[in-house]
Amino acid sequence: MLARTFLNIFVFVLAVVGIYAYVGQLVPQFEEHPPKTRTITAETDRDELSDIGQELLRGKGGCLVCHKDSETGNTRGPDLRQSAAVAANRKPGLDAEAYLLESLIDPGAFVVPNYPNMMPSALKPPANLTPAEVKAVVAYLQVLGGAEPTAVVTVEDIEQSKRVAKGDHRGRALMDQHSCTACHKVEGEGGEGGIAPDLTEAGGRFEPEAILRKLNDPAAWVTPGFEAGIMPSFDEAPPGDLHEIVAYLSGLAGKSYSPTGATSPWSHEGVRLGLVIFIANGLMLGALAWARWREKRGAAR
Amino acid sequence: MSARWPERPAAPAVRALAQTCKGVLKVSLLLVATYIVAQALSSFLPAAGYRNLMGLSNRTAVWVVAELHLMFAAFVLGVPIFALITEIVGVATKDRRYDDLAREFTKLLAMAYTLTAMLGCMLLVLFLVLYPKFTAYMHGLFKPTWLLYLTLIFGEVIFAYLYWHSWDHLQGARKRWHIALGIMVNVWGTALLFVADAWVTFMTSPAGIDEAGNLISLWAAVANLTWMPINIHRLLANVAFGGAIAAAYAAFRFLAARDDAERARFDWMGYVGSFIAIGAFIPLPFAGYWLGREIYQFSEQMGVSMMGGGFSWLWILQAMLIGSLFFAANVYLWLGMGRIPGAERYTKFQVPMMLILTLGFLVWATPRSIIATGSEMVAMGGSHHPFLGLFGVMAAKNTAVNVMILTTFFSFMLYRRGNRVAVVPWAAAAKAVQALAIAAAAVVVIGYGVYSYYVPSIVRIGYSVYQVTAVLAAMVVFVAIDIPLLKGAREIGPIAWGRIPARAQYALVFLAVTFTWLMGLMGYIRSGIRQHWHVYGRVADESANAYTMTHGDATLIVSGIVVAFFLLVAAVFVMAMREERTA
Repeated sequence: MLARTFLNIFVFVLAVVGIYAYVGQLVPQFEEHPPKTRTITAETDRDELSDIGQELLRGKGGCLVCHKDSETGNTRGPDLRQSAAVAANRKPGLDAEAYLLESLIDPGAFVVPNYPNMMPSALKPPANLTPAEVKAVVAYLQVLGGAEPTAVVTVEDIEQSKRVAKGDHRGRALMDQHSCTACHKVEGEGGEGGIAPDLTEAGGRFEPEAILRKLNDPAAWVTPGFEAGIMPSFDEAPPGDLHEIVAYLSGLAGKSYSPTGATSPWSHEGVRLGLVIFIANGLMLGALAWARWREKRGAAR
Repeated sequence: MSARWPERPAAPAVRALAQTCKGVLKVSLLLVATYIVAQALSSFLPAAGYRNLMGLSNRTAVWVVAELHLMFAAFVLGVPIFALITEIVGVATKDRRYDDLAREFTKLLAMAYTLTAMLGCMLLVLFLVLYPKFTAYMHGLFKPTWLLYLTLIFGEVIFAYLYWHSWDHLQGARKRWHIALGIMVNVWGTALLFVADAWVTFMTSPAGIDEAGNLISLWAAVANLTWMPINIHRLLANVAFGGAIAAAYAAFRFLAARDDAERARFDWMGYVGSFIAIGAFIPLPFAGYWLGREIYQFSEQMGVSMMGGGFSWLWILQAMLIGSLFFAANVYLWLGMGRIPGAERYTKFQVPMMLILTLGFLVWATPRSIIATGSEMVAMGGSHHPFLGLFGVMAAKNTAVNVMILTTFFSFMLYRRGNRVAVVPWAAAAKAVQALAIAAAAVVVIGYGVYSYYVPSIVRIGYSVYQVTAVLAAMVVFVAIDIPLLKGAREIGPIAWGRIPARAQYALVFLAVTFTWLMGLMGYIRSGIRQHWHVYGRVADESANAYTMTHGDATLIVSGIVVAFFLLVAAVFVMAMREERTA
């Protein structure tokens, strides 16, 4: 009886789940992949820049969530096909390119009538475009509107974009946090006094494992020309932080290094925590044994 | 020959303590095993930001185990809430049946706790081994909360085991101590939920970190925009889910019952379980809308992706599931009215209510635009048909679901007064006010529904809160009148528990399966809207699995999880049954 009931219910469960799974196959099927990254340099010509801008607008920028750049699409934001054509007359004193730039970087500065002020800056999450990428989008919008693209990526834009990208690397922030940049210079910043070597090219001179060894044991070697014994130990720094720093320095030389080594970030804490749990369990069992002893003694009396 | 103490059973208090110690030891051993396995695998596998284990996709492995853990966690956190309430009702009414029912609910917990802990430990191993870089980042940010979480786990285990094992000992004058234990189980359980929610919601709507991802304020990271809406949403959903699973257990026991007494006992348990499930389910959309609103506040783009982008199709599935829940709940109530003498008076309402539910279901399940294949979409130049345009938009869908909630509530109220006739002199006036409250709510819901066609999405989602508020207000007014109205009411006859068709029990199983599938789907949407981000807009997913899979694949995984969950739940049911028969 029990087995039969169980079987009946299980078949029923499978049937219901099967129907739901089948309906799941009926809705449109598509995959959404992360946006591809394309390199923009000061030499990128305007046509290529416009092509990159189109990819960014449709992918990483996520612009089509609200706008449309073709006949069909979303209408929460203005139709982008007309943006470039009306851009020159939107705000006094701003030409088409300047207006388009402002509308991407600071969308709230001018909101097109009859549309809500809901757009985040293209430089901020979730789009997170670099200044060079924003110019590429402007170039595409100009082409889309039938105009000649005037947006040009300058060396300054590229430098600024690099700084933005660098700010995203945790290893760089951790070097500040652990005071590495108090003595070492990296990418032109920090290291006042010249008491420690410039680390910008350290990734090219040393393998990631060697940099990690140096961080774990500062006395492992000393760069010729610099005084020994100055670099402090990083015993207290979480192992994950050291791996991040190695990944950042190696990355500057184009080497890829996973910030996670074999060492679990829980290695030390895990043992300490285990000890606390072990002692707590011991105390608990001791208390239970005492309660049982008292009970037996009570029963004996 | 040495003297030996005679063998005698330990005192109940010591026995409860011993069982609790067993529970604590079990959790401790599980944690030690987790640590050793994670360390061993981390040392054995090559260093990488992302890893695969035995050819398994890291995303699918974490998804399956996390969802199963979440389902069991929802069950073990939800059941003590209504078990305690049922116990208190038993004390207040001095009706022993409620205490037995609360005990029956709690019995299901003992085995479920072990499974929850095992799945939680497996999940931790998978995080540490398959996502070491991201786990290290999250661990660094939320370190104090991990320690708090661990403390709360031990506290929860201690109180939950004491609560269960001291049930028989703490009766009579000692009952208040048992209720105090029940309160502690729920306080610690809720705290546990809130801590875990902080990590999950931070990934969706990060706060308290700078541009480089460094922590500025732990409290800001914890109390991010979606934290409290998720807390409330999950708290209600856990009760609804726990109720549905308990009702499924009762259905299983009803169908396997050996005699009428057993059938009557589990019929009543099934009714109470379904009542709890639907009761907690009705205010759930309110918490859902609040969550949606906070997502829009955090990122308009994320909100639009969720409701109007690729994920919008999954809301059609959600509509189908919730519509099915409403149908099943109403069918169960209407079948249940067959065992209530006098309830035949209300049979005339069943057809109109069925029509309203069907109409609401049709509106709600209407897709946003025509369902098309990839090649058809290319031919149309987009997902919207160039001539037909948009069909079902949220304005109409919100209206439909609120009308369905109102109808189901009305169904419940008719069931409740099935065998009772109000005898107070003001009965006619009271019923008129109740009807007016329902009608007024319907007008507000439909009025805002029509008006919201003419406003932008950010304003529209705000209107949905007014619609739900109107429905909730009507319910409060109705119940507030109903209680004094039916006090001292004339009873036409006693409810014949156990005399209900077997298909009503399948309706309860259907409710449980649908709730579970719905939970799996909503979990996927909540996690999926982060798209290729671990922490939205801050920490990118750089693994090969960073893409959003097709809805078909996602629903197959959800279905697999649901089947696995029910197989595990069946083991819990069978063990609970065996324990009872052995006792």
